[in-house]
Amino acid sequence: MAPQYIANHNLPLLLERLRRYAELHGPVRGEDGVVRFAAIAPGTLPDLSALRTLLPPKKYLLHPQETILNYTAAAGYQLQAEDVRSLILFGLHPCDLAGINYLDRVFLGDAPDPLYAARRATLTLIGISCTPDEFCSCHILPSPLNALSDLFLCSVDEGLIVTSGSPRGDELLDGVKDLLEEWEGAVPEDSRRFFGHAEAEQVRPEPDATLPEWQEFASHCLGCGACSLCCPTCYCFDVLEFCGLDSCSAERVRQWDNCLFKSHAEVAGGTNFRKERAERFLYRYRHKYRGFGPLQGVPSCVGCGRCRVVCPAGLDLRPLAERLEGRPL
Amino acid sequence: MNRDLPIPAVISAIRPLTVDTSLVTLNTEPHHPVASSFLPGQFLELSLPGAGEFPVSYCGFPSVDGSIELCIRHIGHVTGPLRTAVPGDAAAVRGPFGHGFPLLAYVGQDLLLIAGGLGIAPLRSLLLALLAQRELWGRLTLLYGARETGALLFTDELLELQNRGMVELQLTVDHLEHCFDGPPYCRVALLPVLLDQLDLEPDRTCAAICGPPVVYPLLVSRLRQLGLSDDRIHLSLERRMKCGVGRCGHCAVGTRLCCVDGPVFSLAELAGIEGALG
Repeated sequence: MAPQYIANHNLPLLLERLRRYAELHGPVRGEDGVVRFAAIAPGTLPDLSALRTLLPPKKYLLHPQETILNYTAAAGYQLQAEDVRSLILFGLHPCDLAGINYLDRVFLGDAPDPLYAARRATLTLIGISCTPDEFCSCHILPSPLNALSDLFLCSVDEGLIVTSGSPRGDELLDGVKDLLEEWEGAVPEDSRRFFGHAEAEQVRPEPDATLPEWQEFASHCLGCGACSLCCPTCYCFDVLEFCGLDSCSAERVRQWDNCLFKSHAEVAGGTNFRKERAERFLYRYRHKYRGFGPLQGVPSCVGCGRCRVVCPAGLDLRPLAERLEGRPL
Repeated sequence: MNRDLPIPAVISAIRPLTVDTSLVTLNTEPHHPVASSFLPGQFLELSLPGAGEFPVSYCGFPSVDGSIELCIRHIGHVTGPLRTAVPGDAAAVRGPFGHGFPLLAYVGQDLLLIAGGLGIAPLRSLLLALLAQRELWGRLTLLYGARETGALLFTDELLELQNRGMVELQLTVDHLEHCFDGPPYCRVALLPVLLDQLDLEPDRTCAAICGPPVVYPLLVSRLRQLGLSDDRIHLSLERRMKCGVGRCGHCAVGTRLCCVDGPVFSLAELAGIEGALG
């Protein structure tokens, strides 16, 4: 069967049609000039020319701060119940799809995280191809190439080739089939991106902690944590508890944490397992390029380039990573 | 079992052991795995409603009646308020989590338990498990050191075990308090010094260690000198284990997660990881 194609001039119709299925969110440029994932207002188009949003779509699955448990003296701790609304995320680049795929592996493993699982089950992902810039490294990392989505749109002249990646995608395609045409031109070889190649996951020896580069990075890093905040695969969270004013109820909250913060490795009594900024840099490096726990050997960096764009000190781990990982990134 | 939801527990006793440390006994659902099926060295997450939750090693023996013994130093933002709790107060527990000491691998071996400070908590649990099936193991030796004699925990219990010939016990303190001459059963020396005169057979001895990070490098190098291979040395590591289930991202040691891959690791598993020993 020939690939399905939707002409650019039909895009507004496609969006209106998708809106019948669920609330529609995508990259939207705000009045402040910032591109962020937000509701696409009826009659408007998402900003598909923007290369990256300020925050990645992880905010839909892990809220910056959220209640996870409620306590009352009568019922003890109870899981937080939430009315989860169906949501379509439109215009996700392969790196952001890969970010969500990675979070799925962490939060939907053997024992799924209840809140994440509930939100993920109602989320429809519609990806779109893009052209990387000098900050991106998706064109070399394996995960964006393999990223899963419900629908994927590949830009070609005058339109988008549409492929389905799931039963949900099939359902959506069926609902918009009158807008689709058969594409008779050539399909770009890698329909997920314009260039790149896949590499197998592998376990590498520990990075050398004595390299002077760690100190070098540490001496320039401001410790602001922006790189982690805007990373699609940084999911560290802190857990806090707030006692109710009646003193017999309580709320347990989790909020985004940051491995570049000094408090990240501090335990009761004041011992800190990563006192030095260089140690915290190494920690971040390990997570991004080597993976933790069950995901050892699976790099979590998806190459979106946000960390490089937002760093106020202009730090870039990539040259060091290329050396330590023995491949261009 | 829902690993995210703490189940109710009631504090049934708080017995002060030292000025800042207590033995806390909780009661939860009978036959629940959080009380009945854990390995020494594993941990649970204990919640004190309104204050929060913290990871803590098991200190006792698994029980089907739902009781759990925990040795707690009251220095954190949750363990602090726990100090003023009274029997009958509500708590909640999740667990057991992580990997404990490899009891199966210990069968037929001499065991050398080394505890520093509050590290006695999980090793007491291990000792109780070993004594419950005493015939399965060879020699049992416990080396236990603390800052000062007033900080030694469970001494009555340990001395009684020694007197009954159940365990070879050596106690030491870093320094003596001014007003004490020092008890006759206790040396004044740093913990690793106890290894100097130890007579052991390295090919049939396994070491289980829990203590402050500062003693690990010295203990490890001394044990290696005595001929113990790295896969015969197991250490319990402390890290900030907020969630207990490998999601919160705080407790990685190298690329392993303390909460799911540990907190007990063999020294061989930690090879090459800078900072693993603290």
